[in-house]
Amino acid sequence: MTNFAIGLFREPHAALAAAGTLKRAGFATPELQSPVPIEGVEEVLGEKKSAIKHFTFFGGLIGGISGFSLAAGTAVLWAHPVGGRPIITIPPYLIITYELAILFGILFTLAGFFISARFPAIRERVYVPEAAVDRFAVTVACDDGETFKRAEVILRESGAEQVRAQTEEG
Amino acid sequence: MPAESNDLQYADIHRDVVRSIVETGRTYYITLATAAGITLVCFFFPWFYQLYYGIGAAGMNHPGVWGTYLASFIFWIGLSHSGTLLSCVLHLTNSPWRKAIYRSAEAMTLFSLMVAATMVMVHLGRPWFIHWTVPYPNQMELWPNFRSPLLFDVMAVTTYLTGSSLFIYMGTIPDFAAVRDRTTGWRNHMYSLLSLGWRGTDKEWHRLHWAYTFLAVLIIPLAVSVHSIVSWDFAMSIVPALHQTIFAPYFVVGAIYSGTAGIVTVMFVLRKSMNFGQYINASHFDNLGKLLLVLSLLWTYINVVELFTGWYSGTSTEYEALKYKLFGYYALMYWEMILFCAVLPLLCIFKRFRTSFLPMLILSIAINIGMYTERFLIIATSLSRQYLPDAWGLYVPSLVEISILIGSLALFVTMFLLFVKIFPSVSMYEVKETMDTPKAEPAAPPQGSPA
Repeated sequence: MTNFAIGLFREPHAALAAAGTLKRAGFATPELQSPVPIEGVEEVLGEKKSAIKHFTFFGGLIGGISGFSLAAGTAVLWAHPVGGRPIITIPPYLIITYELAILFGILFTLAGFFISARFPAIRERVYVPEAAVDRFAVTVACDDGETFKRAEVILRESGAEQVRAQTEEG
Repeated sequence: MPAESNDLQYADIHRDVVRSIVETGRTYYITLATAAGITLVCFFFPWFYQLYYGIGAAGMNHPGVWGTYLASFIFWIGLSHSGTLLSCVLHLTNSPWRKAIYRSAEAMTLFSLMVAATMVMVHLGRPWFIHWTVPYPNQMELWPNFRSPLLFDVMAVTTYLTGSSLFIYMGTIPDFAAVRDRTTGWRNHMYSLLSLGWRGTDKEWHRLHWAYTFLAVLIIPLAVSVHSIVSWDFAMSIVPALHQTIFAPYFVVGAIYSGTAGIVTVMFVLRKSMNFGQYINASHFDNLGKLLLVLSLLWTYINVVELFTGWYSGTSTEYEALKYKLFGYYALMYWEMILFCAVLPLLCIFKRFRTSFLPMLILSIAINIGMYTERFLIIATSLSRQYLPDAWGLYVPSLVEISILIGSLALFVTMFLLFVKIFPSVSMYEVKETMDTPKAEPAAPPQGSPA
């Protein structure tokens, strides 16, 4: 079970500044929840890396190889000679290769998105419903009451219009 | 942008879009019932009649073995092109005006593709064997021919349908979450499932941005390939007027052209019926009008090139095909197409025209009538005049075919009407991005929580 301090802000840059102050004060990396993506998060909270591009690349590669193997394998297994032309005819098979590369690339990208963003969410996580409408929330884990008070002071000084506590199971 | 000029706040967008989903007036139900009724009577009944009595119920016969079903297939595939393709291009080029309109445009793609796939089924004499086009191990040792453009079609359309569905779904996850918090009962359960537990954290936004961008990058070449492949269904035959290298770009430009016109039609209807005037305004029609103008000029250029190369080839068969297209049995339709797709869109030169809603609606409908005619003429004029005069003949659609054509429009409308009550038809978070940050507007108490 983890306790969180949640600060609600009206403006994104104030929320971002609060998150930066919390991080510098030694809190575990704070999380922002917002109705729109906030610009400049990486400058304040550090660079974010995701493995999605690798999923896309390998998906495309696997799809391309599968597509060509499917078409060429079919031609070899059920040989159908047409006027002395090659059994494995590259130009039409490249189209199958191309389409399957894109199909697998798309499916793998989706899988990469789900895995890296941890979707679908199985357990209840800390959530601020106002942040889906028009508020910007900063959430930070607090071990005890003392840490919560420190976080509350920082959040209020940064302009939070409301600070509250929430507990996350698991 | 509309949202900037109007004094809108984040909560207003939220309220308006959620209202468009949960509040349903009598007009909506009447329209839906009418569209579903027309679909049943004009699409499914004639199709069952054709299945029962055989494909002879359609007007297709030698030499016109392809008819309105395939013309409709090309038309609907074409109409699908502007939605996802345009959305991807505008996303990658960071064009803010896309944000209010792209969700509905992408839905148009999805439903057009579904109708297109259905038209192939209707064209088949025995649609219950459609699974034979898919390579799967079976005891009959049936295996598709990977050199055939028809199989390219199966691969391309399936990939495009999958890609477009996932693209629209991925882009809607944050909005599903926003709607989830404002709904109760079965809607809340449905949106909880669809939003997958989205919370709008900085990490989730980061992942969504990259995944969405990668999908956009993959879908652009895919969309171009889909209509190129559809064109090869014709261009890889040796029929005069079809066997042309320009067919792939011709089809792709035509597809984007008719799709953009389709977006104008849909935006007009959404604007009126959903009261989205604040989000979809004259600036969107202005930009779409400019796009239509450019596309019409491109389309006209390709048509001129097609005529020129046919004439310059000096081949009697090509020459005959051209003469037949311009002055033969279907000539009236050809000149109607030129009027609607090459002449009338020149009105878009004038800003006053581009920013007038009703004239733009009329133009968009005229363009799509012209583009359907184009697809019909590609099939009808070429198959009617093949090499030997004893193989010449006319194709005239039967009542069953005309009815199914009308029914396919109603099918599209029915699916779109269902869509606007499930999906937020304007992208809330992207419209919010174009606005100033929120001011003092209290948020209503939420009623749900994520999974």
